[in-house]
Amino acid sequence: MARLSLAVALTVLVGTTTHASEFRWASTTDPQTMDPHAVNSTPVLSFLNNVYEGLVRRGKDMTLEPSLATSWEPLENGGGWRFYLREGVTFHDGSAFTAEDVLWSYQRASSVLADTASWFSPVAAMVAKDDYTVEIRTKAPNPIFPDSIANWMIMDKGWSDANEAQYPAKDGENYATLHANGTGPFLLVERDPGLSTVLEPNSDWWGEAEHNLTRATFTPIQNPATAVAALLSGDIDMINPVPIQDAARLEQAPGVDLIRGTETRVIMLGFDQTSPELLSGAGPNPFLDERVRRAVSMAVNVPAILQTIMRGSAEPASQLVPAGLRGYSEANAARPDLDLDGARALLAEAGYPDGFSFELKCTNDRYLNDASVCQAVVAMLAQIGLEVTLDAMPVRNYWTELRADNFDMYLLGWSPGTFDAEHPLRFLAHTPVADLGTWNFGGYSNARIDALLPLIQSEIDESARQAMLDETAAILQQEVAYVPLYVQPLLWGVRDGITVTQRPDNFFMLRWVNLAD
Amino acid sequence: MLAYILRRVFQSAVVLLVVGLVAFSMFRFVGDPVDNMLGQERTQADVERLRETLGLDDPFPVQYWNFLGEAFQGNFGMSYRQGRPVAEILMERAPATLELAAVSGLFAMSLGIGLGVFTAIRRDGFAANAIMTVSLVGVSLPTFLIGILLIYLFSVELGWLPSFGRGDVVRVGGWSTGFLTESGLKALILPSITLGLYQMTLIMRLVRSEMLEVLRTDYIRFARARGLRERTVNFRHALKNTMVPVITVTGLQLGSIIAFAIITETVFQWPGVGLLFINAIQFVDIPVMAAYLMLISVMFVGINLIVDLLYVAIDPRLRGDTARGH
Repeated sequence: MARLSLAVALTVLVGTTTHASEFRWASTTDPQTMDPHAVNSTPVLSFLNNVYEGLVRRGKDMTLEPSLATSWEPLENGGGWRFYLREGVTFHDGSAFTAEDVLWSYQRASSVLADTASWFSPVAAMVAKDDYTVEIRTKAPNPIFPDSIANWMIMDKGWSDANEAQYPAKDGENYATLHANGTGPFLLVERDPGLSTVLEPNSDWWGEAEHNLTRATFTPIQNPATAVAALLSGDIDMINPVPIQDAARLEQAPGVDLIRGTETRVIMLGFDQTSPELLSGAGPNPFLDERVRRAVSMAVNVPAILQTIMRGSAEPASQLVPAGLRGYSEANAARPDLDLDGARALLAEAGYPDGFSFELKCTNDRYLNDASVCQAVVAMLAQIGLEVTLDAMPVRNYWTELRADNFDMYLLGWSPGTFDAEHPLRFLAHTPVADLGTWNFGGYSNARIDALLPLIQSEIDESARQAMLDETAAILQQEVAYVPLYVQPLLWGVRDGITVTQRPDNFFMLRWVNLAD
Repeated sequence: MLAYILRRVFQSAVVLLVVGLVAFSMFRFVGDPVDNMLGQERTQADVERLRETLGLDDPFPVQYWNFLGEAFQGNFGMSYRQGRPVAEILMERAPATLELAAVSGLFAMSLGIGLGVFTAIRRDGFAANAIMTVSLVGVSLPTFLIGILLIYLFSVELGWLPSFGRGDVVRVGGWSTGFLTESGLKALILPSITLGLYQMTLIMRLVRSEMLEVLRTDYIRFARARGLRERTVNFRHALKNTMVPVITVTGLQLGSIIAFAIITETVFQWPGVGLLFINAIQFVDIPVMAAYLMLISVMFVGINLIVDLLYVAIDPRLRGDTARGH
């Protein structure tokens, strides 16, 4: 009994010790797992980037920087890349980082049980030349390969073997689900799934610490109102995201700062471009006609949506990637102007002078204010005589509906995982076949785009590559494959005196956090 | 007697099975878990492989049957979201909910009885009328609004109490308790009030009307006539006789306190089973949803069974009826 109460007293002591520069942050989603290869989602990859590291990493402005590799170069024949590894790096458990761990992490991250396997589909083989040189041979020349593996995190072979975590567990549990052993600037100290996760700085990190934290605690808070209250009351130092309707209030509140930026996610409208009939069966599918799609793009008043629903926090979009990303087409940066008369004329020309009725599918919990945006679109299309039935639903039902072709028009947000314009071409614009066009729900198809995609993927010359990307962007605009609306905003709330860095991929890096003294 | 008990136990089991069947038939309308478990760059082969492993393509009666078979062996499966055994997760989360339910039950009982007696004795007083009016507001406002209002008043404006979470907890054996730390106790206050407010109002109004009834009876008048002190009359004689219905109602409300904790837990980010359930719905975490629903129905069915059996123990007429029925 005496021992028990001592243990209790000790736990209390540990639990209530206040840390001089402890940082507490909250987000709506808890990272599902601590395994860097099990789930390819922003909450998981963003969180684990503090603990694990890849060969390369992204800097504050998203440029590629050396991380566990100090430099890299294309192989002589263009058949891949050679990475020179950083020497003297140790994992959190003290074991040394070598080429063996890179090969091991490749096997693990590209296995069928991993969710990151698609990153390695261009890879033919990976070879260690010596302990600190790795050659990655690709099936075809691949200029953007280093960009596509910025989130491929390296695990220790010995640790994975010893703890029987050789494969990522998606529907089960293994040691790596709850524990982590990376090379990164922070150590995983405590992990209570869904409750809290505690990190502490890695004193043996190879890099120079830019932060002044001694401890960082993450708590998922699902309810946005609770998160805002926790920030205002000082229980939490940073929240992501801030609900748009609270943004103005947080800006004026004392002691709290609002940080605004834009994400790389483009919100767009897509059309059913294959079904012969409308979903209701009321007649032929008008969206097969390019003129009807163009009429829609001319009738949606994007500036009004941004002003009223997004409260001035978002940027209009003209193509499938936002400005500033690699491969963005400057030549196609113009959005169609609002032109209701022109839209009506196009509809009349296409044989619908009195408009028609159709169904718009939309999420109501996936993108910021998504359902309100769809309601606005419905009202705007009514002005050119289109009678739209809105079907808004939670995202957990949404993809099933879209895959079953239960839509005439739909809302979609896309954030390119590689931060390159090739990514949406592969998933949204290529004709749906096998593993290409897997998110092209509307079935848009253009032979020229299908032909250009492999060429873009293997073109080493930047300007030749950009010319092809410009051509695809022009085709997509010309044929109104999608109607890009706007780039989703990022809104973070932090307490005064704390500096953080907001990256367009919505990753939150603890190594750039500084608390006021 | 034994036949009656057996029959009631059998009926309870049937109710449980039906609840489970209805739950499983609903799960496919909740959404597709695979979309949440795989990232946007997954292939169709990945999707099919995972659906196969999870048995999601089986018709729902088959899924339900498999669930039952495993559940009888004490295995509730693995959470899709956390990848850990559901039973383990539920055990981790249960103390938070049970402590919250206990404190808010206590709050509802003590304050409800106290205020009920007060408003009955001073039925025309200003304070009693004020309490009755305010309690009406408490009943008609939804729980999440009350929670948010309390957070804004006591955490944001006054800064007295934490806005979310459980504070520091201490592990005693397998149980994590918030009773032993200052921050843990502070963290209990707002959620307990939020959760217990409705029950408190209910008990208060019940006690008040029962008291008013009892205070009109002859034995109370005689007690007054004998010159007994007012306090003795009110509490020893009157209150005691109002307690039977109050205890019955409170017992039945205990189940709903635990079940209604879902909303309070969401507002306060209280790490209990209710919050776990909400997260499970958002993620379509079928094993967690199934286990939670079964747990709650076991609890409700169990409470009702005990109440039924107690009635039999208390009321001999029920026993007679059953005996004649057979």
